[in-house]
Amino acid sequence: MGTYILRRVLYSIPVLIAASMLIFFFVSAVGDPLAQVRAIPKVSQETIHHIIVRKHLDKPLIVQYGYWVENAVLHRFGTTLLGDNPIWPDLRLALSNTLQLVIVSEVVAVIFAILVGVYSAVRQYSAFDYAATTFSFVGFSTPVFWLALILQVLVTNIFLAYGIRIFYTSGFSTPGVTGLLPSILDRLQHLALPVITLAFVSIAQYSRYLRASMLEVINSDYVRTARAKGLLTRQVVMKHALRNALIPFATVVALDFGAYFGGVIVTESVFSIPGMGLYFIRALNAADLYPIMAWLIVTAVMVILFNLIADILYGILDPRIRYD
Amino acid sequence: MPEPVLSLRDLTVEFHTDDGIVHAVDHVSYDVYPGETLGVVGESGSGKSVTVMSLLGLVPQGRIMSGQALFKGRDLLKLPDKELRRIRGKEVAMVFQDPMTSLNPVFKIGDQIAEALQAHDPGLSEDDARTRAIELLDLVGVPQAPRRAEQYPHEFSGGMRQRAMIAMAIANQPSLLIADEPTTALDVTIQAQILEVLRAAQREMKAATILITHDLGLIAEMADRVVVMYAGHVVETADVGTIFHAPRHPYTLGLMGSLPQVGRDDEWLRPIPGQPPSLINVPPGCPFHPRCALSEGRIECRTRLPELAPVDGEYHLSACHFKHELRERSEELLRHMEGIA
Repeated sequence: MGTYILRRVLYSIPVLIAASMLIFFFVSAVGDPLAQVRAIPKVSQETIHHIIVRKHLDKPLIVQYGYWVENAVLHRFGTTLLGDNPIWPDLRLALSNTLQLVIVSEVVAVIFAILVGVYSAVRQYSAFDYAATTFSFVGFSTPVFWLALILQVLVTNIFLAYGIRIFYTSGFSTPGVTGLLPSILDRLQHLALPVITLAFVSIAQYSRYLRASMLEVINSDYVRTARAKGLLTRQVVMKHALRNALIPFATVVALDFGAYFGGVIVTESVFSIPGMGLYFIRALNAADLYPIMAWLIVTAVMVILFNLIADILYGILDPRIRYD
Repeated sequence: MPEPVLSLRDLTVEFHTDDGIVHAVDHVSYDVYPGETLGVVGESGSGKSVTVMSLLGLVPQGRIMSGQALFKGRDLLKLPDKELRRIRGKEVAMVFQDPMTSLNPVFKIGDQIAEALQAHDPGLSEDDARTRAIELLDLVGVPQAPRRAEQYPHEFSGGMRQRAMIAMAIANQPSLLIADEPTTALDVTIQAQILEVLRAAQREMKAATILITHDLGLIAEMADRVVVMYAGHVVETADVGTIFHAPRHPYTLGLMGSLPQVGRDDEWLRPIPGQPPSLINVPPGCPFHPRCALSEGRIECRTRLPELAPVDGEYHLSACHFKHELRERSEELLRHMEGIA
């Protein structure tokens, strides 16, 4: 197992190098990185020349790539083009905010999806199953921004009518809240609506997926054996069937996790959460290529990392996977 | 004869499908006596497996329409789920056809056997259950049992898996063991070994066994008595010698006639002409009459379902209107079938 993980980590290195090259050369191919800076009348020729020298923009592209990699590795992505501000502190904050949002909403989604998916499969074609199916179609077809806005309106109306603030409708924390418990509570109040928004869609998707894989195993011979042994229905379903149904499910969830770290742009925008999604939008608006490339790299690392985790999970869940 | 362990009366199981109602088991009655091996033979789809699995509540889609299944004085069909669960795996255990798919791929063999023990003895400690599981594996002839118990099903060969399945089935010393085509999925050489294990297990447990198979060779070797099923009906039951040498139902006769025999210089196999009927549209009257060489279009066969009735003694039953004609005409009928085939 150890060597398997090590080998998979080593495999990730060339992928990462290729990703970094693609990111750098494609982003550079967009055109003159200073075009927008030149358009600002206040910026003098001298300043522009200064930036060119500092960022080695007069050198060939391949050399620029070398400097960029050096900066990324040794200086945590270096600084922005224009203000010469360090990139990493902002990016790290954005990543940690998105991390909280994604982890909480995925955990909620997985728990509910397992409950709904398992029950739907065990009681296939029951009223509950049809209700869950309907819910899934609604979940699939609900635009995220719409759901987010409706939730905001709902919570705002409750606040206006009764003066109770259950959840916050934007931002990620209230300034001035101190102490461990109050700040955790405050964070949860801020997280609630975006988590509901994200989880709603994920539950719809995951519960269908789990229902399908449960149905596949629930009619299998080994589940029949488990019942023939005289196990309780609970043991048959939650141990023998679910354990097998989780194998493909875990892979899907792990891959989704990775993809979400790029930021859940719409949700973060509606709820003004300073996460990866908003970071990316801001960097685009500022037309500063360096934060964009840093963002792309972090996102790529996350995708690669969770691919790796998916593989390892698969190996842990399924003893038939060979490591050599 | 002593009291039967299991006594089936008029069991009827249907499947409601989009194409219509499948009459999988139609008024089936038979008895299983203590210590004996009862062979149940029939073609695929004759209802031989559904009959026993529905007793244990293992056919969730099947609807039990009528009947009685007395097991040690209790009617299995009327037991609430909870009590039926206590009987499954403890008093009545099953060995399934395909050992490749019947074991859960993600749990260790030893744990799966230990689980069968703990399901009926919650007080049993993990360690004791494991020790017992290893003993059971050893009993069914799995070499290096302590090491093998720690392995997963994919590390076992087909024959070894079937041994593990048998170990699991006999774990709680059941009084009735149901083996559903236990050797069909195995190589011929492995089959013989598995039969030996099954026989040894049976001796050890003194359990009655229902052996479900379409392999007549297996029946000849293992069974004491035989139940022949066709299209969801029991058509004949007798002791094994009678079934092979003096069958009194044209279907059984056809089955025996289709066996290739050493010493007979056959160029062709002799199948029973025709196909078994669709269980959605079972022919009226005797379900076998369209393929029957004895019927010769007699109205009785086409209109009235023959009852399972004694032939010579109390224990040889046949469901044929003209069963007594077979005493004289068996040879002639076999030749006739050969001609058609």
